[in-house]
Amino acid sequence: MNFEWTDDQRAFRRKIEQFLEQSLPADWEEFSRHGPASPELTEFARTFCRQLADNGMLFPHWPKDAGGEGLGPWEQQILAEVMWEWGEPRGGQYMNVNWIGPTLMKYGSPGQKDKYLPQIASGEMLWCQGFSEPNSGSDLASLRTRAVLDGDVYRVNGQKIWTSYAGLADTCFLLTRTSDDKKRGITILLVPMDTPGITVRQIPSLIGEGDIHEVFFDDVEVPVSQRLGEEGQAWEIIGYSLTNERLGIPRYHLARAALDRGVAMLKQAGDFDRAPVRIEAARCAALCEAARTAIYAIVQKRADGQAIGAESSSARFATVMAERAVCAFIVECLPEALAGGSAYLQMHHQRGIVAGIAAGAAEIQLNIIATDVLQLPREPR
Amino acid sequence: MQPSLNEDQIQILEFLDSLSKPYATAPLHDTSFALHSDELDRELAEGGFLDVMAMPELGAATAALVAERLARLPFAVEAAVSALVRPLINPELPRPICLVEEGQLRKPVRFLKPGATVVVIGAETVRTFIASADLVRSAGDEVLFAYPMAYLQGVPADARHHDVSADEVRRAWRVALAAETAGLLAAALQNVSTYVSERKQFGRALATFQAVRHRLAEAQVATNGVYWLAIRAAATADAGDAALAALHAQETAQKVCYDYHQFLGAMGMTLEHPLHLWTYRLKALTADLGGRGEQALAAAEAIWG
Repeated sequence: MNFEWTDDQRAFRRKIEQFLEQSLPADWEEFSRHGPASPELTEFARTFCRQLADNGMLFPHWPKDAGGEGLGPWEQQILAEVMWEWGEPRGGQYMNVNWIGPTLMKYGSPGQKDKYLPQIASGEMLWCQGFSEPNSGSDLASLRTRAVLDGDVYRVNGQKIWTSYAGLADTCFLLTRTSDDKKRGITILLVPMDTPGITVRQIPSLIGEGDIHEVFFDDVEVPVSQRLGEEGQAWEIIGYSLTNERLGIPRYHLARAALDRGVAMLKQAGDFDRAPVRIEAARCAALCEAARTAIYAIVQKRADGQAIGAESSSARFATVMAERAVCAFIVECLPEALAGGSAYLQMHHQRGIVAGIAAGAAEIQLNIIATDVLQLPREPR
Repeated sequence: MQPSLNEDQIQILEFLDSLSKPYATAPLHDTSFALHSDELDRELAEGGFLDVMAMPELGAATAALVAERLARLPFAVEAAVSALVRPLINPELPRPICLVEEGQLRKPVRFLKPGATVVVIGAETVRTFIASADLVRSAGDEVLFAYPMAYLQGVPADARHHDVSADEVRRAWRVALAAETAGLLAAALQNVSTYVSERKQFGRALATFQAVRHRLAEAQVATNGVYWLAIRAAATADAGDAALAALHAQETAQKVCYDYHQFLGAMGMTLEHPLHLWTYRLKALTADLGGRGEQALAAAEAIWG
C-alpha cells in the first residue's frame, strides 16, 4: 500500500505541465472559458493536439505498435488530471484518444483502422457519440434510431439528442437499431457528419458554448463498410469502450483545483479567516480526496490487469458529491467568481452540473452500487 | 502510487479473520449494551496484531487495516489507538490506551478502567499515567455508547512527560479514529443490507424499494471514502490527510446512523438486532477531538495555512 508518486510519475506530470506552460497562449485562461466544445477551442485544439502528438503526449497510453508510448493507466490518469486542471486544451480530443481509438483498435476492420487511427493519432479529427435519444437517456438500450440494410448501404432514420461536439465533429460513433432485440439489436455505424440527410441543431445550454446538440438523420446512407463490428454487437463493444473510459473525466482533481483556486481568492480578499468558511472548504477537500482515493484504487486495479466492476460507479458517485460541494462552496463564499471574477471558476461551475448527468446518470450509478456492490435484490421491473 | 494490499497485508488480514472468527457474531440476550471480550483482547495482543506499525515491511497502513478490520466485529476492542498511536509514545505502554484531551475531563473515556494507560494530550505536551482506581469513576449503566466507558477524575501531578510532538499524537489519533470508523461503518452497512434484503413488506424485500437502495448506495460511497482516506492518512503520515480522514469519518458516521436504524423499522429500536453495537460506537467516535468542526479547522490549517 503506497500513496506516493514514483519519481517517474512525478517527472511525467512535470513534463506535461512544462509543455503546457510553454505552449499555451498568455491569455489561455480567459480563452478556455469558451469550453472544450466551443468553435474557438475546437479550432485551437486541432493545432494544439498535433503539437501534443508530436511530443508523445496525446496518446501515451496507446500501445507502441499503434504509435503510442505504451505507458500504463497511471500515466493516462496523470495526463487527464493535468489537462482538465488546465482547462482541457485538447477540446473534444480526450474522448477520441481515450476510448474511440482503443475501441477501433480492437473491433475495427483493417480499412477502418487504416482510415481512422492515423487521423485520431494526429489530433486533427473530432468525433461525437450518437447515443442518447429523446426517449432513450438512462435507458439507452431502448433507442429507436433505425438502420435498415438496403444493398450495400444502411439507411438511417431517427434522432439523437444531447450530443456533445456534434456541431463540429467530423464523424459520429452512432448507435442504431437493426433489429427489435433490445440489446442485441443495436449496431454501431461510423458516420461522416457531412453525409447528406444529417441535420445538427445546437441546444442552448447552461454548461458552455456549443456543447450539446440535436442530430437528425433523414434517410442517411451509410456504407456497410462503415459498420463497426457485426450487426447487433454494439452492446458488447460499448462495454469494452467503457472499460477504457469508465473512470471518466477526473472531476475530483478539477474540483480540488477549483477549490484551491477559490481559497486563494478568499485569502487574497482577507476572507479566509472565518471559521465557517474554513470548515466548508475542508468539507469540500475531504469529498474531493475521498473521490480521488476511490478512483486511484480503481486505476491500480487497471494497472494490475484486474477487471473493473461496480466500484467504478461508487467512485464516480463520489466525484459527483465532490463537484457539487465545491460548486456550492464557491456560490456561497465567492459569488463574484461566477459573475466575471474568475474565468476558471466560472468554467468549472458551468461544467459541475454535468457531473451527475453525463455518461450515466448518478441515480443509475446508485442502482448499480445497490445491486452489484451491496448485493441487494433488484427492483421489480 | 500503489493503493492495493500487498501480500503481507493480505496474509495478516487472513490471520486476523481466522483469530476473530469466534467473535464474529454477537451473543444476544445475555450481553450488556457494550459488548467486550477480554479473551479476544488478549489473543490480539499475544498475536502481535497491535504491533504491526513498528515492523518496517508492514508499517502504519497495515496498522490501520488491522484497526479497520477489528472494528467490524460486534465486540469492542481497544485496537486502533494501541496499533496507531501507542507506537509514537512508547510501544510498551500497558493496554488499554485511553486518549484524553487536556481540559476535557467532563467527557466519558473509552476503555478507561483501573490499570489502563491514560494519555493526556495538551496543546504542546503529551503525558501518560496508569489509571488508579480512585481516578476512575464508573459511568454505570447510563452510557448510551456501545463501548466500555468511564470518567476520569483527575490527572496526577507526576504524570510522565513524553518527548513526542502533541501535534503528531493528535495526527495519529485522527488516523486511528478514521480507521476504526471505517470498520464500524462497513459492518453497520453490511448488517443493514442483509436485513433489508430479507425483510419483506408489501410483498417484496425492503431492499427492492429505491428509496432504501439509493440511500444505502450513498452510504456505501461515503464508507468507501472513509476507508481509503484512513489508509492513505496512515501511509502518508500527513497532518492534512489525517484531518481530512477524521473529518470524513465523523461526517459519514453522523449521516448514516439514523438512516440505518430507520431502515430496520421497529427492529431498529430493539437490542435484539446487533446494529446498535456499531452505530452507538460510531456516535461515540463523532465526539472525538472536538468533533467535525475541529477536524475541519485542523484540515484547513494543514492544507491552506
